[in-house]
Amino acid sequence: MGRKEMLQIEHLSKTFDTIKAVDDISFEVTEGEIFGFLGPNGSGKTTTISIIAGLLRPDSGKIHINSLDLDGDLKKIKRLMGVVPQEMAFYEELTAKENLLFWGKLYGVRKKELDERVQYYLEKTGLLGRENDALKKYSGGMKRRINLIIGLIHEPKLLLLDEPTIGIDVQTKLNIYQIIKEASSNGTTILYTTHNLQEAEELCHRIAILDLGKILALGTLDELIQIVGEKDIVIISGKFSIDMARTIISEFQQATVLSIEERKLVLSLEASKNISTLLEEFFKKGITIDDVSIKQPNLESVFLKLTGKELRE
Amino acid sequence: MNNIFHLVRKDFRRKWKNPAVILGFLFIPLVFTLIFGMVFGSGGEKTLPQVKIFAVDNDQSLVSGFMLGALTQGELNELIDLEEIEEEEGRKLLDRGKASALLIIPENFGDNIWEGQPTEILLIKNPAEQFLPQIAEEIIDTMTLGLSSLRQVFAGELDTIRKFAELEEFPDETISALSLQFKGRIDGMSKYLIPPVISIKQITLSEEKEEVSDLSVQAYILPAIAVMFLLFICNAVFEDILSEKESGTLMRLRVSPVNLREYIWSKIVTSTLIGILCTSFLIILGRVIFSINWGDPVSIALLVLCLNILIAGFISFLFSFVRTERQAGALLTTVILLMSMLGGSMVPVENYPPAILKFSKLTLNYWGITAFKNIMRGEPLATIVPILFFMAVAGVLLSILGSYFLNRNLQRGIS
Repeated sequence: MGRKEMLQIEHLSKTFDTIKAVDDISFEVTEGEIFGFLGPNGSGKTTTISIIAGLLRPDSGKIHINSLDLDGDLKKIKRLMGVVPQEMAFYEELTAKENLLFWGKLYGVRKKELDERVQYYLEKTGLLGRENDALKKYSGGMKRRINLIIGLIHEPKLLLLDEPTIGIDVQTKLNIYQIIKEASSNGTTILYTTHNLQEAEELCHRIAILDLGKILALGTLDELIQIVGEKDIVIISGKFSIDMARTIISEFQQATVLSIEERKLVLSLEASKNISTLLEEFFKKGITIDDVSIKQPNLESVFLKLTGKELRE
Repeated sequence: MNNIFHLVRKDFRRKWKNPAVILGFLFIPLVFTLIFGMVFGSGGEKTLPQVKIFAVDNDQSLVSGFMLGALTQGELNELIDLEEIEEEEGRKLLDRGKASALLIIPENFGDNIWEGQPTEILLIKNPAEQFLPQIAEEIIDTMTLGLSSLRQVFAGELDTIRKFAELEEFPDETISALSLQFKGRIDGMSKYLIPPVISIKQITLSEEKEEVSDLSVQAYILPAIAVMFLLFICNAVFEDILSEKESGTLMRLRVSPVNLREYIWSKIVTSTLIGILCTSFLIILGRVIFSINWGDPVSIALLVLCLNILIAGFISFLFSFVRTERQAGALLTTVILLMSMLGGSMVPVENYPPAILKFSKLTLNYWGITAFKNIMRGEPLATIVPILFFMAVAGVLLSILGSYFLNRNLQRGIS
């Protein structure tokens, strides 16, 4: 992109008791970039965001935001940063306008500018006209939009979004995507955690795939798909044991086992046409196949190849 | 400082929009005071209600007229509301609770007194009333005793008066002789009567300072219960910390330019201000509804300020020991109730034995209530200042300790 690096993370680690939540991760995010953090629950996304936000101290590693060291310049960094947590973190008794004004004032936004921004974002999210209603009267989707605007009201340089579209309707989701893209085009750097593959594909300039606290792969969507190559991902479900499946696959040269468990086998195949030959081998052994699905190379197949498991919402 | 201002304003807005808890805690002291006032009466500053007595005079003599007239003379007139009535109607009205007693003077009452014959008057008391009929009985008792004694001591003189009372003229020499007889009789008894063996000490209750009863029941109860409920109101403000922790707004505040110390101090300031508003509100309502005389306004204003600083400091300190709403509910409620019990919010400390009183003095309630009472009794500000100073200093110190420990606990507790 050739832009300034807004966020730099070097060898970041964090352990809770014996569990390594974040395991030596490093990456950089440039100004205006939407950087996706893709991983299942427990992969370390929220822990990483919490460390960047200054809520948790890492065991080791360095974080720089806009060339400021998180360790020494947290106070300055807080003014540059916006955070949108998973939960609806606002005051439900207060109106949308009162909430936005309150959060804006905490970041030192001047009154006139703040009033304009409140007006702008309420209009942008279709909430103008409802600004004087208490948030407890809002629907889930409307609350999600307010939750997002609170993080944006002071126009931060770095915005941390922790799964901001959980449990909302398509219309609200599209509205949120639009606002995020606009913020990015205005120069806000966005770190976006999600476990929704389509969301990551649609929104993010680059994506890091996380599992068990490690970054398994990092790059643009095209770069990540290259990891899978031209191979398809095949998922076979049926009545077979692990040993039986291993025996069949070992005789079948063109397949690579990604994961294998009782009654479920995940493979990558050179070409999908070989699938019939493979299935014949199963039938010859008298194995009943319940279901076969073939996935073309995409983020999901990349995730499957890297982790051996599917990512579900 | 700016952040604390924004946070306090936000909390005020939230409480204004959702005032149920604070209003509840605010009105309970008023309701308690109202109920206790009704049960135990008004007390010290109020005057006694008049004793309504219906009187039936079946004799219509000089003596019966003298007796009924005496009941409405001087100070007795302020105490007794006497109404002459027919016997049948009097009984009916008494049945309907329209008076405290019905006094029936029989026929020949006057003649019997003149002749020194035994006679009796009938006093029927209203069973629905507890104290007023007793007052009526005491007064009538005293009066009949006085009348009997008068008859015994001045028997000869009264016979002479009676004899001449039936005549149209009363000779001067007889009046002169009677006067000398009366004088001789009184001089003879003077060594017993002067100085009187029994003297009646008249006291004005509001002048007495050591008695609890110098304050009206309401003036005692309202501040006592108010201190307890101010603790609960302050607790409700601090419980916000736990609910904000739960809802995620505290986490969001932590990633904003607000630091935790500012946040905690905003709660201390909010609870102090809300406490001051609530106390002022109770004081005004206490004055309007129960006519409580709160004493010197400057002293009361200083007390309200210092007391609420102390309460906010104390609750912030207690809150540094809790991590969940359940813990807060258990610890804070127990401590507040225990302190209120020991400190005089539930039972006047004057009723406690010295051993318990020692513990009472360790409670915030004791000092708050004592200061209120002293100001209401008109003690000068200079004598109250040490208590107020102690409250303010203790409140600030506890706030500093509370904010330190709360900050430490919240930093550990938020992930």
